[in-house]
Amino acid sequence: MLTKTFAVAYYTFRESFARKTFIAFFIISTIILSILLLAVNIDVVDGALASFRFFNQDVKNVDQQLRLIIIGIQSTLSAFLFTGGIFFSIFATASLVPNMLEKGNIDWLLARPISRSMLLFGRSAGALAVVAFNVFYLVGGAWLILSLKSGFWHWPFLLSGLIIVLTFAVLYAFMVFLGVAVQNSAVTIMGAYLILFFSPMLAQRDRIYALLTDKVWQYLLDVLYTMTPRTFEVGDITRLVVMNQPITSWNALWHSLALGVVYFILAILIFNKRNY
Amino acid sequence: MPSAIHAENISRTFSRGKIRALQDFSLDVETGIIFGLLGPNGAGKTTFIKILLGLTRPSTGSATLFGVPTERYHARKRIGYLPENHRFPLFLTGSQLLDYCGRLSGMHSKAERETRAELLLKRVNMWQWRNTRIKKYSKGMMQRLGLAQALIHDPDLIFLDEPTDGIDPIGRKEVRDLLLELKNSGKTIFLNSHLLSEVETICDQVAILNKGKLVSQGSVHELTTSDRRFQLYIEGTPQQIEPVLKEHTQSVIAHNDHYEITVRDNKALNAAIDSLRQQGLLIEAIIPHKQSLEDSFFQAVRGHSETDLNTLFETKAKTGANDAD
Repeated sequence: MLTKTFAVAYYTFRESFARKTFIAFFIISTIILSILLLAVNIDVVDGALASFRFFNQDVKNVDQQLRLIIIGIQSTLSAFLFTGGIFFSIFATASLVPNMLEKGNIDWLLARPISRSMLLFGRSAGALAVVAFNVFYLVGGAWLILSLKSGFWHWPFLLSGLIIVLTFAVLYAFMVFLGVAVQNSAVTIMGAYLILFFSPMLAQRDRIYALLTDKVWQYLLDVLYTMTPRTFEVGDITRLVVMNQPITSWNALWHSLALGVVYFILAILIFNKRNY
Repeated sequence: MPSAIHAENISRTFSRGKIRALQDFSLDVETGIIFGLLGPNGAGKTTFIKILLGLTRPSTGSATLFGVPTERYHARKRIGYLPENHRFPLFLTGSQLLDYCGRLSGMHSKAERETRAELLLKRVNMWQWRNTRIKKYSKGMMQRLGLAQALIHDPDLIFLDEPTDGIDPIGRKEVRDLLLELKNSGKTIFLNSHLLSEVETICDQVAILNKGKLVSQGSVHELTTSDRRFQLYIEGTPQQIEPVLKEHTQSVIAHNDHYEITVRDNKALNAAIDSLRQQGLLIEAIIPHKQSLEDSFFQAVRGHSETDLNTLFETKAKTGANDAD
């Protein structure tokens, strides 16, 4: 059974990579890595050291400043991936499930001796794999280049890559649920973008309460806050991880992951009940 | 040995019971034959195939494939399927699609998948296009590839929904030959086709479905041969025997060299023969009237529709409903 699921995931990976969005994503990542590879030596490391020495600053201080520069670059990349990367990935993967469910496509897939749950799991794993590949290509590549050039091996940056992939996984679980329920790519994309859009507002719902006339709206906001992934707060966790700053609570991440699991189980239940 | 297909009292309704796609439909298909399912559009053929393949669940009733309930995905281990209007991933090449299908069907060995793909692509004349992306294939090429993917794991039961759709006459002949070859190797083929002549040529058993009900089933020979109409050849083709025949037959039509008679049953046929012999006439041949499958199909479907119409009128008469209903 696992071999079949792996086959679905493998061919979904290939299908995703055949799309121009991911090719564009890959090219952008390559350009960023090339810039880091060619520019860091001159502008950042040597440049920073030279400027510090020029002003006769303490070497320890120079080292500290250099670390801050590296962390600054990494947090910029991390923010780019958390916003732009996830935005691109949603767009590129939204149609994978609705397309699979279309007449003429689902027929020959379901006629194979593979359970519906495994088919959906394989499809989702393939989509996740292609996003993880792109994220780690940029995060891993940037981390390696910056570390080799500076001698400063900042591991939390890699952890931020993992959090970004997990955030996408949660959003993708929601997209799979929508995809199976409504079988429409546009609705799937809109659903995921709505979460990204409203997440900051829901995270600060305490401030909104004062503006609301009725308690019902407060309850509604609380329900929405409970039922949607907390991407804004997870984004903040990612930023703190890269900046090497203390994280007061990981709750937003655990809550979002748990929701992702719930959405995916719901998607499987609906998919298993559906007639095609 | 269980039947290849066993369906028992299957009903399937849509729109909260308003549309009845299948009504108490039962069917048994034995192994090693080519079985044709016929019926006009909307008869319920595709719904039935989808139930057998686990794509749709029946409202009531049950079905098995080689004894395994269709709701279990293991039932599809020995099944190959060519859907109508299939949409294979366009970014793959022909051989990549076969590899994918082979893996999904549980073929773990890469060498086995490659050998089988080569054999099938050559068999359906697609070997030279194996490395071309599917998006560049013509309709006929897609159909040939569809056949190959249905056979990749050497299934024992193959469902083919309009297999020659979009294929030229030469290609159709090749497909027919392939199906007969599969049958001779012990495979069971379940064919859903609108081409009645094609079904008549290759099918052993046929079922006719209309408005979700089974209206006729049997071998092609049984369906095309009438047990009541005969061609009667008498030496010298005498002209004055119609009164003799009419005593025992329901109708007599004189042709140039023979008579065409319709009898109620075999007893009446024998009585007619006896009368002719008593007249001293020499019977050269009695040939059961054979009609095309198309004629049988229309008879079955029209007869069924007329029965339905009569029932409807009777019901309306009883309930006092008028035509505006």
